[in-house]
Order: sequence, then C-alpha cells, then structure tokens
Amino acid sequence: MSERFVFERKEEFLEKLREIVRSGVPEKRITVLSPYPVHEVDEILPSAPSGVRVFALLGAVAGLVTGFVFTIYTVKVWPLISGGKPLVSIPAFLIIAFELAILFGSLLSFIGFLHFSRLPDVNRIVSSEEFENMFEIRIEAEER
Amino acid sequence: MSPDGIRSSHSSTPGSGAPGSGSQVEVDVLAAMRKPGALYWFLLLVCGSLFMVGMALWAYQMTRGMGVAGITHPVGWGVYITNFVFWVGIAHSGTLISAVLFLFRAGFRRSFNRSAEAMTVFAVMTAGLFPLIHLGRSWYFFWLFPYPTQRLLWTNFKSPLMWDVFAVSTYFTVSAVFFFIGMVPDLAIVKRFSSGVRKWFYSALSLGWKGSQVQWKHYNQLYMFLASFATPLVVSVHSVVSWDFAMSIVPGWHTTIFAPYFVAGAIFSGTAMVITLVVPMRRILKLERYITIDHFESIAKILLFTSLIVTYAYIVEYGLAFYSGSVYEIGIFKYRTFGHYRFYYYGMLLFNALVPMTLFVRSLRRNLPYLFILSILVNIGMYLERFVIIVSSLAKEYSPYAWGTYKPTMVEVGITLGSFGFFFTMFLLFTKLLPVLSVTEIKEESH
Repeated sequence: MSERFVFERKEEFLEKLREIVRSGVPEKRITVLSPYPVHEVDEILPSAPSGVRVFALLGAVAGLVTGFVFTIYTVKVWPLISGGKPLVSIPAFLIIAFELAILFGSLLSFIGFLHFSRLPDVNRIVSSEEFENMFEIRIEAEER
Repeated sequence: MSPDGIRSSHSSTPGSGAPGSGSQVEVDVLAAMRKPGALYWFLLLVCGSLFMVGMALWAYQMTRGMGVAGITHPVGWGVYITNFVFWVGIAHSGTLISAVLFLFRAGFRRSFNRSAEAMTVFAVMTAGLFPLIHLGRSWYFFWLFPYPTQRLLWTNFKSPLMWDVFAVSTYFTVSAVFFFIGMVPDLAIVKRFSSGVRKWFYSALSLGWKGSQVQWKHYNQLYMFLASFATPLVVSVHSVVSWDFAMSIVPGWHTTIFAPYFVAGAIFSGTAMVITLVVPMRRILKLERYITIDHFESIAKILLFTSLIVTYAYIVEYGLAFYSGSVYEIGIFKYRTFGHYRFYYYGMLLFNALVPMTLFVRSLRRNLPYLFILSILVNIGMYLERFVIIVSSLAKEYSPYAWGTYKPTMVEVGITLGSFGFFFTMFLLFTKLLPVLSVTEIKEESH
C-alpha cells in the first residue's frame, strides 16, 4: 500500500521524513515533493551529485573543439587571405570557440536537466495534479 | 485539517484545495497577472503603435533604398549601429543581476531578477533587428551565418562582425534558456491558479514540473551552471561589440580600453533601465511588499559604481589619445570636445559622470522618484555616449577632403522610436502573461 503525507510547515515535514527514514523504509521508495528546494532533504536522503555537470563539461568541450575545427577547416578548404593575416589565426578563432563553448555547454546542460528530471512530463501536463504549496512525502508500495 | 498539520495520510486522492488557494506570496504576485486596467491598454496601444510605425518605416526603407537614411560617406554607421550597441548594452545588466549576483548570493537580486531577465531577452531581440535594418537588403541577412554554399566560400571568421554574430546569437539563446528555466516552477504555480485554455498553456510551459527532490537537485545544478556560463558570456558579448570598433584603425575607436569601458557602460545603462522599468511596475502591480526601498538602494549602488568606472574610462580615453602622439587621435578628441557634436558630448558627461555622483547621498539613493528620473537621464546619457563615439569618430577621419557631418533622417528617428515601442510592448506583455517575481525564490528565502 502506498502512503502519502502532506504538511504545510517545513519543520513538521522534515521531522516526519527523518522518522520515516529511521524506521527503515528504503530511500528508493520515498519521493519528496516540496514547493522550493529544501537543503535538509539532501542530508536526510543523500544522493549522488547531479549528472548535469557531466553534460555541462561535455558541452563546453564539444563547443570549444567545434569552434576551432570549424574555423580552421573553412579557411583551409578555401584558402583566401583576408586582412593580411595568417590563414589560421588562433586569437580570432578563439573568440568563436569561446562563444560556442558557452552555447553548447548551456544547451547541453539544459538537455541534461530535462533528461535527469524526466521533463517534459506529458502525463503530469495533462493530469489535474498541481504543484502545491505543500510538503509531501510519498512512500511507494513494496514490490511483492 | 488535523491540528498537527497533516492534512491527509494513507490517501490516494490528490490533495489539492480549491482552485486559487495559495500562500500570500503567490496571491500577491499572481494578482499582477489579472485582467489589466485602462492604463495598461493605453500604454500597450501607444507602444504597439510606435512599433508598427517603426516597422512601416523599415518597409519604406527597404522599398526605397538606404538613401532614405542619413548614413552616407564618411559616416557609414549612424543611429542604427548606435541603437544596436545601446540595446545590447541594456541587455547586460539583466544577466548581471540574474547570474553574477546569484553567484555572489546577493539577496536583493530576487526582487529584480525576473524583470531583468525578461528585459535581457527583449533587449537582445531589439538589438538583433538593427544589423538587419542596417544591412539595407535585409533579406540577405543569412549571408552572415556560416553555411555551406555551392561556391564553397565561407564567412570571414577574422572579422569582428562575425564574432558579433556568434556572440549575440549565443547571448540570446543562453539568456532565453536562463529566463525560461528560472520560471519553470513558477509557471507550475500559475497553472494552479488558472483555468480553461490558460491552464493548458501554463501546464505545457511548466513542462509538468512537480518539485520532487530529484527535480530540485538537477534544477539547482543547472541553474548554477547556467549562471556560471552566463557570467563570462556577458563580459565577452560587449567586449566583442566594442571590438567591432576597436579592431579598426579609426582614430577614437582604436584603443585597448574599449572592451572594459563598454562592458561597464553596458551594465551601467542596463541597471538604469531596470530601475526605469521596475519603479512603475512595482507601483502599478502593487509589489511594494516584495521590492523594497533597501533593494532599490542596493541597485543604486551598482549604478553608482559602474558610473565611476565609466567616468574613469572617459578620463583614460583622453590620456591614451594625449600620449599616443598621433595627430589624428588627438585631433579626434579635440573634435569630440569642441566640434559639431560637442553638446551631445557634454550631455553624456553630465548624465553619465556628474549626475550619478549624487547617489553618494544615501537619502537620494532611497528616493524612488529621484532614482526614476536619474535612470532616464542615464539612459539618455548612455545613448549619447554611443552616438558620440560612433559618429564623431567617423565624421573627421584622416583626410580633410573626406570630412563630413551626419544627421539622422526622420526614417532613422522613426525606426529608433519603433525599437523602443517594440521593447516596451514586449515588457508590457511580459508583466501580464508571466509571473514578474520569482515566487519560488521568495518562498525559499522567507522560510
């Protein structure tokens, strides 16, 4: 049987959450919903750091590499000297690479966030359930 | 509800109350989204009409050719480029308030961040129009982007104008994502308060946010990363804009101080615009409880600080010209001070360097009507600054036979006013369609 506790006050909610964890309910079965991020929950229910950071790093590196590869490729494929500068002008290309690092890093972090937090959640969008101003603890039923 | 605060347990029915039930913050902030009054419609009509006039003039310019604009030899960059720099600058303080102050954990950002982020997105959109308007044959704008063509010819990545394409489009994308992601939990709250088609609209926009501990964990991480990406970005974007000028050899433009000078100026003008927008918004939407005088004082200090940096840059510019030993460089600064555009130059000094000094007085920092008027003066001053830098440097370059002056035509003035119309129309729509304060962050702070 799944259980559901709803609180208005943060302190009572945290107390109950501690009690549930102490009583030996496996953390996997507990879902906590809160109207704003509550840092104490991270202490009570410790979890691995967010994987978004991997996406951010991959995106930034991909952007940096793309920026250099793309600019260098285009001047090599049609070698046209402009402004009397060397074909491969690293300082100039660094700016493109820098902007792309930020662009790809941000976009990939965003995609990572959507992936990890299972958004957009179509079932939730069409359901009548609301994002309440309440603290809620849900305990899923044990698998039999 | 039982006295111990537990509303329901062992139940599976959704624990939602009556529609519209919510905490005080939610009610207060979302009240701003109610049906607008006559004043709102009037403002929207004025701004919308201005925008339409601007669009019509742009169409006129496209059919008649660039001759209807005053830009010609030797001043090839006039108010269109001034507008571009001005609007990109306005955008900057939005990112400063939402990203940089977030990383510094400055509490007062909460009162301004949503409007500042909205302002950023709309200002970059406005700015982005001007290179297209300036092109003349605007329908060839895609030539700016690197795409494979039959001729195998690529864009010139050594050109600062190409850097600008990348910087501004990255800036627009990242600030739009930042604006949106900061709003997702609030949109889920708006969903709870709305009904009918609006409910569907906000439900879809909120992506089905439910606020589980997993979602909050990734959300906080994403927010931190976006803030960290946006902070160097904001510095780079206006540096790149300044390099559009500084990379050339035009006297008056070719200085190394341009990048920090432009970045400080951008934050200065953007902060002024935030004050211009938020003072009336706070009053009309009755948000006095959430945006306090203390918050305005903090933002006035940013205004004062950036004003001092800008003043310093004005002085250094003269020093650089004086020590350059170049007659052209010295000549252009003499021309700036005593030439055709001297009154614009004096105006810029007065509004950007002298008048903001009054903010050293505490009672003036806390005086909202004063701040509002000052912020408008600063905006005028910053517009003049860009105009003076761009136009006065081009008007008297090297050969006296190629000198000339520039005056904007009615078409240029009209399109400029149209851009203000567009910006304010977008902001007015924002105040009624989206939550103007970050409800979630205010709740988090008050607990």
